[in-house]
Amino acid sequence: MRTIIVGFDSFDPIQFERLNAAGKMPNLGKMASASGYSRLEVCSPPQTEVSWTSIATGVDPGSHGIFDFVHRNPANYAPYVSILPTKKTVLGETFISPYTTRTFFQEAVDMGFPATAMWWPALFPARPEIGVATLPGLGTPDIRGQLGVGTYLSSERVEKKKSNFGLLSATGKGRYSGVLEGPPVKAKSGVAYATQPVQVEILDEKEVRLIIGKQEVRLQPGKWSPIIELVFPAGFAFSIHAITQVIVTEIKERVSLYFLPLQIHPLHSVAAYATPPSFVQDNWKRCGPFLTLGWPQDTNALEDGCISDEQFLALCEQIFETRKRIYFHQMEHFREGVLAGIFDCLDRVQHMFLHDQGDVVDGWYLKLDEFVGQVQGKLEQMGLEKQRLLILSDHGFRPFDYKVHLNRWLVDNGYMQLAEAASPAEPARASWEKTRAYALGLNSLYLNVAGREGQGIVDAASLEGLLDELKTKLLQLKGPDGGSVISRVLFKHEVFSGPYARLGPDLVIGYAPGYRASSETGLGKIPSGPVIEANHDHWGADHCIDAAAVPGVIFANRDLSKIPGLSFRDIPFLALGKHLDQSYIKPPSQQGPEGQKDLEERLKGLGYL
Amino acid sequence: MLRRLFARPTEQDKTPKPMIIVSGLPRSGTSMLMKMLAEGGVPVLTDELRSADTDNPNGYYEFEPVKQLPQHKSGWLADGKGKAVKIISALLEYLPGDTHYKVIFVEREIEEVLASQQKMLARRDESSGIDDAAMQKQFEEHLAAVKYWLARQPNIDVLYVEYGAILADPEGRCREIAGFIGRPLEIEKMSAVPSAHLYRNRAK
Repeated sequence: MRTIIVGFDSFDPIQFERLNAAGKMPNLGKMASASGYSRLEVCSPPQTEVSWTSIATGVDPGSHGIFDFVHRNPANYAPYVSILPTKKTVLGETFISPYTTRTFFQEAVDMGFPATAMWWPALFPARPEIGVATLPGLGTPDIRGQLGVGTYLSSERVEKKKSNFGLLSATGKGRYSGVLEGPPVKAKSGVAYATQPVQVEILDEKEVRLIIGKQEVRLQPGKWSPIIELVFPAGFAFSIHAITQVIVTEIKERVSLYFLPLQIHPLHSVAAYATPPSFVQDNWKRCGPFLTLGWPQDTNALEDGCISDEQFLALCEQIFETRKRIYFHQMEHFREGVLAGIFDCLDRVQHMFLHDQGDVVDGWYLKLDEFVGQVQGKLEQMGLEKQRLLILSDHGFRPFDYKVHLNRWLVDNGYMQLAEAASPAEPARASWEKTRAYALGLNSLYLNVAGREGQGIVDAASLEGLLDELKTKLLQLKGPDGGSVISRVLFKHEVFSGPYARLGPDLVIGYAPGYRASSETGLGKIPSGPVIEANHDHWGADHCIDAAAVPGVIFANRDLSKIPGLSFRDIPFLALGKHLDQSYIKPPSQQGPEGQKDLEERLKGLGYL
Repeated sequence: MLRRLFARPTEQDKTPKPMIIVSGLPRSGTSMLMKMLAEGGVPVLTDELRSADTDNPNGYYEFEPVKQLPQHKSGWLADGKGKAVKIISALLEYLPGDTHYKVIFVEREIEEVLASQQKMLARRDESSGIDDAAMQKQFEEHLAAVKYWLARQPNIDVLYVEYGAILADPEGRCREIAGFIGRPLEIEKMSAVPSAHLYRNRAK
């Protein structure tokens, strides 16, 4: 068995079909014209981590347990990141695998073949026991255990919402010093941050000397540094290794630098970053250093104004090139089994540019098409062109024009009551003993169920009626243009099946294109003001809406036209030639016509039964 | 490592000669295709219990035990490897999953299928309690369900052939079928069958 998989996060069928019709997608277009293309039904909700996990397992979130980017603890309603769960052990708090459902990678290993999954979401921490070689994707934290917070150092104090800020003090003409905060370490006074001193010297308009710790790096203003390896002392005979990149963004009016979030050093990781160690070492040594953060394309820095559009795109370009290098390196060693890699720069680029710089986005589609041609060329070179090749995406993309503050809607419609605030500055919070429903996560709405939630009040007899009522009212919600804000509301039992279904949200909210839950809703917050707010953020497009509005794509070097209704559930079958879960494949007599009896009578009448 | 050494399926595990199934809706041209295969040199599994008649002057090429598939009686399949057998679409789901099948699925305009079925029902003195429009809808749903299911069976390869295309270009379709089942066939003899069939139908 030989299966090559290329994952393009957020590759949108509408964009592809438009560009292909214009003759701009020669490689993928060729596959499409040979019937090797189909839109792909994606799971609900169509969120990256949920969708790729559903693709890898062939099952919906009810069977793998990742329902939304944000989950809640029903006991106290506290939100947490679903793909970065932790567990307290005698050694302290450690990361645990976000799911353990069988993937097709694992199945391939058990069939006796090697399997490699690179940059696939929710594969951190590594699980050496399952035998799949991994470099994890989305969900891999920075060395602080966060999903990625960078540091902006400047000679002028500025407010940053999403990045750490540090002041650079002038120490001479064109010379500045500051401190880069590293990972948290134990200190007498509780928790402190390990630090590295930073010295900056403006040599001329084209060159800046940066001394960080004992390392000297020469930087060109506006250009990213190579990956820098840092070592933070973290107590007696113990140190924490990290990697980052830095960019000098200003040297005239003020001096500013931006450090990418400090990332796990793959060769010196305390947590199980990837597996096996030889695989990581080989990639690092043969292909050069690579960023390890699950979301390395620093959208926070762009949104925060720490870096420019061009600098962000240059970072994306560099990440893409590095991943390509690693992927081709792995292809060269590929003899059998499954080799998969996910390329997610397009997702980040669309988030930031789809709404106002379509040409930038188009450029990335063309770039991915070119990459497909390179992969095909390599396969031909290796005599593997007839082996299984799958190219797929986890969902499409749509503009994000309006933010929906769903908890505000719940308050306005009497489903949520607010607790009395101690002061006007205090953020609004729910009065749980008077709240029947709450929203948390980008597509999730929960009832405040008695016996399930810590202060639940909705009894079993009222559940069904309340869910119906909410669904009806939510579907009636209109936006500024008079159109529906929400195109589908799905009950838990309609969309989730499997052992974890009971843990999922009670309603999955499918926003209409143009709308998405606000970030505040994602965290369960209740902002004051209107329910619908125009989105003026740089982050102007998204996919966390109705799954039917953002199908993914699948390309293959086989005829896909004979596989009707292709969905995420079919990917293990297409990858391995066998199913991991067959519950969705009902025999024709069970899924076909209601008039099965008439059919049987006809066949008997004709003498065939 | 141990798993790699011992778990891998070997070439011997794969059925060397898959069973060839001719399928489709009743009256879609499955008997014609069976005769084509027989003429082409493929051994066919038939008991000839249902003899030729006005509806199928060349014979039905049926095999009575096929009807017992829903009762999980499939011991006869052991004798069928490498042979062709006719199984209507409604019975495909009962095929045991441990055998490799190559299904040649004949597709024909449902209006034509229904018209042919009505004639046959009349000759058999059977009444139809359901009108053609309702039956058409049910057949369409049935075919969609069968295709969805077939596409997801790892042990089944499917070739869809259109009845009209066989009549229009017998040789081309015969070559396609030969390629699909992976063995040389007597294309000339095989492709003479639909021509004769067409001549017979025109002569009526």
